[in-house]
Amino acid sequence: MTAGEPGAMIFPTAEELKRFILDHELPLRSREFADAATVFRYGAFVGSTLEHHDTLERTMDRARTLINITEDADKSVASGTVITARTLSCSRGRFSRSWHAPTGGLWGCLIHANTLLAASRRFLSLAVGVACCEAVRQVGTTASYLRWVNDVLIDKKKVAGFLIQGYSGLHRHGEYDLIGFGINLNNRTFPAELQATAISLTEKIGEPVDLYHFTLVFLAKMSWNIGLLYYEEARDLSGDGFSGSGGQHLLLQRWKELSDTVGQRVVYGQNVFDAPLYEATVVELQDDGALLLQLDDGSCMSVQSGEIRYV
Amino acid sequence: MANEIDFDEILSKYRSDPYDYVDVCATHTGIVRCLVTEGAEVAAPSGQWLHVPGTVLYEITRERNSKLVTSQTNGTVAEIHCEHDGKFVEAGEKLMTIRHPLKKKEIIENILKQVLFLFPAPEKAKYFFSLDIQSRVEKKGAQTVSVKPGDEIITMSLMKRDTPVYYQGEPGVVHSVYFKPGISVEQGDPLIGVCSPEKLPLIQKIITKVKADWDARM
Repeated sequence: MTAGEPGAMIFPTAEELKRFILDHELPLRSREFADAATVFRYGAFVGSTLEHHDTLERTMDRARTLINITEDADKSVASGTVITARTLSCSRGRFSRSWHAPTGGLWGCLIHANTLLAASRRFLSLAVGVACCEAVRQVGTTASYLRWVNDVLIDKKKVAGFLIQGYSGLHRHGEYDLIGFGINLNNRTFPAELQATAISLTEKIGEPVDLYHFTLVFLAKMSWNIGLLYYEEARDLSGDGFSGSGGQHLLLQRWKELSDTVGQRVVYGQNVFDAPLYEATVVELQDDGALLLQLDDGSCMSVQSGEIRYV
Repeated sequence: MANEIDFDEILSKYRSDPYDYVDVCATHTGIVRCLVTEGAEVAAPSGQWLHVPGTVLYEITRERNSKLVTSQTNGTVAEIHCEHDGKFVEAGEKLMTIRHPLKKKEIIENILKQVLFLFPAPEKAKYFFSLDIQSRVEKKGAQTVSVKPGDEIITMSLMKRDTPVYYQGEPGVVHSVYFKPGISVEQGDPLIGVCSPEKLPLIQKIITKVKADWDARM
């Protein structure tokens, strides 16, 4: 998209993202982590190509189309390609849940070529949530928390949601993760069915959010947190262990710092809103990212999929 | 997939020894301490979500971290390798064997697993059919679902990442479903058992024969 077309002034270019990371995010991270430049090198592919649209039905569908068109031409789609749109006409969440995507929010999809080992790939969902929560805290309010796996909440309402789906290209069968994101920024109104559970950042902070700036911050933090998966994987494979305190994975450490899930009374289910299974108390986030739940009979369950809501 | 099956031989085997022998091996390297004795009865995980652990079998300690390992099946400790007690073992070292009494349904499934094509779980995760297939399975049974290589019929759900699982194997109909909603499947364990439509009479014959044989024993 060129300047002058709808959406061009709202969304940054790949070059602007790269410059933002070097000028702002790298110095920020370097204050707390000596090897920050290495992490950013691993995550540099995030946002290597940015594709903006005024309106799409769904960015995930556009990602699938792009993968197939590219494979059809005997090429590979660039890992880290981000597709955004000012509005989505047919957006939905997991289990075909309603997701309202009018103008004012950040709606998009990141294409990630599956080059992580299974043990690292399982943390992708956590990394996306951490990146968003960090961005919301930096730009808007520190009163935002992560609810396992990666819901970002403000005042117990959802300000952001993610949908991650595996996908294999139709022609070359390349394996991708499509990371869909929806972040309520300046959109203030929600359909009736979402009013009790959704909130936008502007509602919380009482002023408009600079969408261009937020997009830069969010993608820079995605670059860091996804880069961290590769960085920690490489450390572990080389026998150096993870770099978090006590030898824990740095991403898990950060997730715990941003989350209020441990200790909560929750309802758990594969589809917790339509088919809740049981109530439990959250004991801890385990080393593999699973949640340890204690049931009322005292027994514990480790859950690696599904979702929770707070009671 | 076996075309012919010697019922008499298989049934005779199960008649004379209606048990599975499940080896219990060290989950990783470490110092083991056996917590059961030969002949002890052990319980499998129980509860609605299989959340109540089975009997504790052994403790394994690595770098001061100790872990209690519990039984995944019910039965009797048939054999125990006492020589490892209190010693360092490598991952995979056989520690004991549990003799698990087979139920009629398990015998049928064991025999069917020799006849069906078993499609395995690619990762330890939870699995579910896509909505339209789940609806068809519930209303009309799994055998109304045909699969061929490349079909996307199951979704793997892990850490809120949903990945379509593409069927690879012989085309046919889904005869057996080995996963349940909400319960994790170990990597490599079968998700579905598939056979060609023309094999269905053979399958039915196996089930009828085992049921009749088993009921005659009672």
